Amino acid sequence: MMEEDKQTSHSRADSAYVESSAIRGRRDDLIHTSPELAIAETDVRLAERGEMVSGSSLWRDAWRRLLKNRLSVFGMIAVALVTLASLLGPFIIRKATGYTPDYIPTDAALLKSFPPFTSPNGTFSWTHPMGTDNQGRDLLARVLQGGQISLMVGIISTLVSLIIGVSYGAIAGYLGGRVDNALMRLVDVLYSLPYVIIIIVLLSMFRSQTARGQLVLLFVALGSVSWLTMARIVRGQVLSLKNQEFVLAARATGVSTPRIIFRHIVPNTLGPVVVYATLTIPTVMLTEAFLSFLGFGVQPPLASWGSLATDGIQNIAIFPWQLIFPGVTMALTLFSLNFLGDGLRDALDPQMRKF
Amino acid sequence: MLRFITRRLLITIPTILVVITVTWVLIRLAPGNFYSGEKRLPPAIEKNIREKYGLDKPWYEQYAKTMGGILRWDFGTSLKYEGQSVNAIIARSLPVSATIGILAYLLALGVGITAGSIAALKQNSKWDYASMALAMLGISVPNFVLGPILVLIFSLTLYWVPPSRWAGFPSRNIILPVLTLSAIYMAYIARLTRAGMLEVLRSDYIRTARSKGLSERAVVMRHALRGGLLPVVSYTGPALAFLLTGTVVVERIFALPGLGNYFIQASLNRDEPLIIGIVAFIAIALLVMNLLVDIAYAYLDPRIRY
Amino acid sequence: MVTVPTPRERTALVAIIMLVAATSSCQVAAKNEEFFGKTTPPTRNVLRYINGDEPETLDPPISSGQPEARIFIALYEGLVEYDPKTLAPVPAIAESWGVNNDSSEYVFHLRHNARWSNGDPIVAEDFVYSFRRGLSPELASRNAYLAYYIKYGQAYNEGAVFVRNPQTGEFLLEKDFAHSDQEVPESLSQKPLSSGEAEYKGSDSAPNTSFHQFMHSPARLTLPASEKARKKLIDADAKLQAAVRDKEFVPVRAEDVGIEAVDDYTVRISLSQPAPYFSGLLAHQLFRAVPRKVIEKYGEHWTEPAHIVTSGAFKVKAWRPYSELVVERNPFYWDFANVRLEEIHFYTTQDNPTAMNLYKVGEADAVLNHTVPNPWLDVVRSKKDYMDGAEAAIVYVLINVTRPPMNDIRVRRAFNMAIDKVTYSQSRRITKPLSAFTPEGIFPGYPQPKGDPFNPEQARKLLGEAGFPVMQRADGSYECAKFPVDQVEYVFNTQSSNRTMAEFFQAQWKQNLGITVPLRSMEFRTFLNVRAKLEYKGFALGIWGADYMDPFTFLNLFSTPTGDNGSGWWDQRYSEMLDAANRTLDKQKRYELMARAEKFLLDAQPVIPIETSATNWVKKPYVKGMYPNAGSLFPWKFVYIERDPAKWDYGVPAMAD
Repeated sequence: MMEEDKQTSHSRADSAYVESSAIRGRRDDLIHTSPELAIAETDVRLAERGEMVSGSSLWRDAWRRLLKNRLSVFGMIAVALVTLASLLGPFIIRKATGYTPDYIPTDAALLKSFPPFTSPNGTFSWTHPMGTDNQGRDLLARVLQGGQISLMVGIISTLVSLIIGVSYGAIAGYLGGRVDNALMRLVDVLYSLPYVIIIIVLLSMFRSQTARGQLVLLFVALGSVSWLTMARIVRGQVLSLKNQEFVLAARATGVSTPRIIFRHIVPNTLGPVVVYATLTIPTVMLTEAFLSFLGFGVQPPLASWGSLATDGIQNIAIFPWQLIFPGVTMALTLFSLNFLGDGLRDALDPQMRKF
Repeated sequence: MLRFITRRLLITIPTILVVITVTWVLIRLAPGNFYSGEKRLPPAIEKNIREKYGLDKPWYEQYAKTMGGILRWDFGTSLKYEGQSVNAIIARSLPVSATIGILAYLLALGVGITAGSIAALKQNSKWDYASMALAMLGISVPNFVLGPILVLIFSLTLYWVPPSRWAGFPSRNIILPVLTLSAIYMAYIARLTRAGMLEVLRSDYIRTARSKGLSERAVVMRHALRGGLLPVVSYTGPALAFLLTGTVVVERIFALPGLGNYFIQASLNRDEPLIIGIVAFIAIALLVMNLLVDIAYAYLDPRIRY
Repeated sequence: MVTVPTPRERTALVAIIMLVAATSSCQVAAKNEEFFGKTTPPTRNVLRYINGDEPETLDPPISSGQPEARIFIALYEGLVEYDPKTLAPVPAIAESWGVNNDSSEYVFHLRHNARWSNGDPIVAEDFVYSFRRGLSPELASRNAYLAYYIKYGQAYNEGAVFVRNPQTGEFLLEKDFAHSDQEVPESLSQKPLSSGEAEYKGSDSAPNTSFHQFMHSPARLTLPASEKARKKLIDADAKLQAAVRDKEFVPVRAEDVGIEAVDDYTVRISLSQPAPYFSGLLAHQLFRAVPRKVIEKYGEHWTEPAHIVTSGAFKVKAWRPYSELVVERNPFYWDFANVRLEEIHFYTTQDNPTAMNLYKVGEADAVLNHTVPNPWLDVVRSKKDYMDGAEAAIVYVLINVTRPPMNDIRVRRAFNMAIDKVTYSQSRRITKPLSAFTPEGIFPGYPQPKGDPFNPEQARKLLGEAGFPVMQRADGSYECAKFPVDQVEYVFNTQSSNRTMAEFFQAQWKQNLGITVPLRSMEFRTFLNVRAKLEYKGFALGIWGADYMDPFTFLNLFSTPTGDNGSGWWDQRYSEMLDAANRTLDKQKRYELMARAEKFLLDAQPVIPIETSATNWVKKPYVKGMYPNAGSLFPWKFVYIERDPAKWDYGVPAMAD
């Protein structure tokens, strides 16, 4: 067992819990184990068990367990609702009231921030359920459009980190030895880099011509920050899997190394990868919001929840709804994503349950 | 144990140097400089400025100068802030960040462990729901949303506390920043403690202790808590990393002259010596703290041996 | 079948209810108060002022920032000080001064009781030292250009050289190598003293000295410091080439610069050309007195609180960086009896809402200019502590004229005419729309020219003429398919007010021309760099505040020959028009010449003027002696705390004397 495996996990706090349970664990050889390994072991056990029970595979089992967990169902539905609302909402609103997210009224009297459900002369009105921002733009439409961007950033950045992390970790784990040592050392070094400054420099170095270009930059920047833990998890998995029989069989029949890694081993690591990815999305969204807070996130005319909330902070003394609506929406979505992630983890490995 | 520590230290030092080098390179690649004003400077004046700060020398000379300084623990003088040495700036801003950070973490530990333990002991009671619900919120609400809301209520409307600024310790000014910063950690620690305690309370050795006739209190304090604290201790490592970014946000919202704020300003100003100084300092601090955490972990759980 | 909710589910439900309940906190009752926030005066005579960014230094000539400028006014004094209402020069360390007949030479008579904060007397030599230091190339002051009016000031600062004949000791003269076709009249300050022309009215002048003779000789030719630049100039001019053969190059020294201490209490300044506004310039921090002995002793550490010595009404008490700078009354100050504030705390904040929140809760007594965020104006403007006044600052859009399609003047004019500046000013609520390049209503008697008004029809026509026809769609909106949108953008530095402005322009161009110009924001220093190097395509934000109260401080932006004014536009004729104006003695005639130059600039359309700024800050009613003047510069010695509510300022204090 290599020294690095004893290091404390730097992934989410809950993985730290996993580590402690593994250490307290059921089997003696799980002491001195890393969390990734614990996941890997249980995963493999489940896989084996799945093969013995006729017909039912790991995934179908997991799905059934997931559905039984009402909270994660709620999480799934909430996330799906928010996604749908973000995608279709602006369109529907435009059809219903004529307001687009970036429509700035030409009438000077409307270029102000109105409270929710209020019309310019103070009476109740349905036109702006969330009020308007400083330039008279409908806040509901903006929050929904912000959802598009936030979710897109979250998902795509996570995908980027997934691709990089899985490949890296799989290669490191499979090749082992000095290569693995070097690659993981690099990960350690990268961990200690304060990523704030990297992102600031990155975003100012490769200047983007358009707001969309800036988005792509963000995907790359955010993705390149979260792949580290993914790599560690996958590596731990691969370390345990690579001495399994099916791998030995594949090697014996002459399958090339890249094929072994990516066609045989990686698919078996997907359980924890999916869990971690689902838990990464909210982290990435929070990071994007943090970058928007500093001014490096999405640029106008695009807006994310983070940039909407940041704009709203400016006026909290007078127009608090500008912060509260994007903030609460974002919190609810992160909330639901966390539930979904918890549920997925429970579904894929019941031994990691919290209650 | 000693071997482990030495080995870790030997790895740490090159890591820090690499960190600094990468930062230095990235700064150099970024456009912009620290002396730009609204009006473009006449070339002669710009030349004067560049000479003064040694910017006209070849890059390897500048790099050697920077690294040499670092090895002597001299990070040089800030480019943007005339006459102030980086060491002095760090020495000045560190107490601010440290005070807020430590207080926030202590508060999080105190409230989190207490709430988590009670939630575990009184499982499924109203207390359990309420505190776990708050914990869920604490994790999902970003700190730059929570902070201003607290300011809105307790400062701008009730006039109880100032909305921002640093006025030393102790003062009313630290209340809101500490609360905002500790929220997310309170949440995590409460959850971790609760989960850990529940796990432990079901285990054999607790049953043994209870059947021996020990009071509930003794059971909790002497046995359960120790086991339940393990995840909290191991969480401290990553928590410190989060603390940095959390501190940046809190320091900016509440206008506190701490390391995080200087860090951001330095990045925006392309103030190379200050950036490198803070980066090096934080890297060292993080690595040392992680080492301490691992040692504490080993102390708490006798089954782990390095 | 719905089962009993599990504990976790109940927890989640509770959390969601809490979240949703939070949204109901949107109802914040607007308090109907006279003032914005608490109005309890502090117990001591202490002013807490929100100053903005952290000052980068306490050394006056070095920094050009606004927060530093306000601090320097408290700590250091110059020959003159700003009048708190009009910013005209009023006596400070100089108790009187005289100027010669064409405003090319000034004589200042210092008072005898001015002292440093350590008790030493302030003498004329201190000003000579301070001016020379401000111009020294080693100091690399960003403000040095303000002193270029002083004879050989620019040459010294740029490290230029004279050309001398080693045998005769004679220097080559500038007038022998002048390139301009016009006859450049010599200023009185350079004419030999024996010419018999009356230089000063009455007896304002000072005794003659050998240095004075030197100043009154024709200007010497100066050549650049670097060999390469020199060679380039020499090779281009045959006459020059012949003249410099066998000559030696002598660096211009500090002692050659046109400032002289005639005696302990008399300072004489010789300018290279007439500059009627020069006495107003002297209140700038570049020209304030700094302590020679302290600087020579401690070098770059002289501004540390333990070492620093100041010449103004206040001295440094404590500096907590990134938090506050505390200054206290200087007991040795010559006017100490009239300084009522015991201390001033300059607070550092990074953004406006923070400042406003501190002010509201009563933790600060006044905030810096441009701090009330625009959306707050509806609420704050109606309060009696809101300070509203005309400001000598303009906002405009620079156009990069070096690249197509913006190198076509028709395109530039079209974009200018497609923005409705009147509506924009209305939305900004306090500013005035601007079609010129000098602020409106600031310079009395200045015949400000007018540029093109808002005319979207004409704009579309011009675009069509330039080859980018604008078509109207069925729904009434416009499109301009041929216009190369990927060749333009609008860049600005990240700040919410800038973003709002950018989005407005974008919407206007889209609505009136059918062109959606992409926006690009960036961090401040990156932005300045991009703009200065013309690395942007199309448009960039520009904001300029006056360095001194004269239209020239704005028009000067485009007079640099290398064209690095952020737009790439430069025209020799324009520079010559400005030079001619500055040489004119009659003030009104000078204004007319400058206005003509300004019209020339507007016709060339390298900028799109947007608005004249207005001051926009708040101060508590008990703070007296602070006025919303055009430059937002406050001589702190005149400020005091009033405890009798009957004498408070209910609204903007009267500015007319």
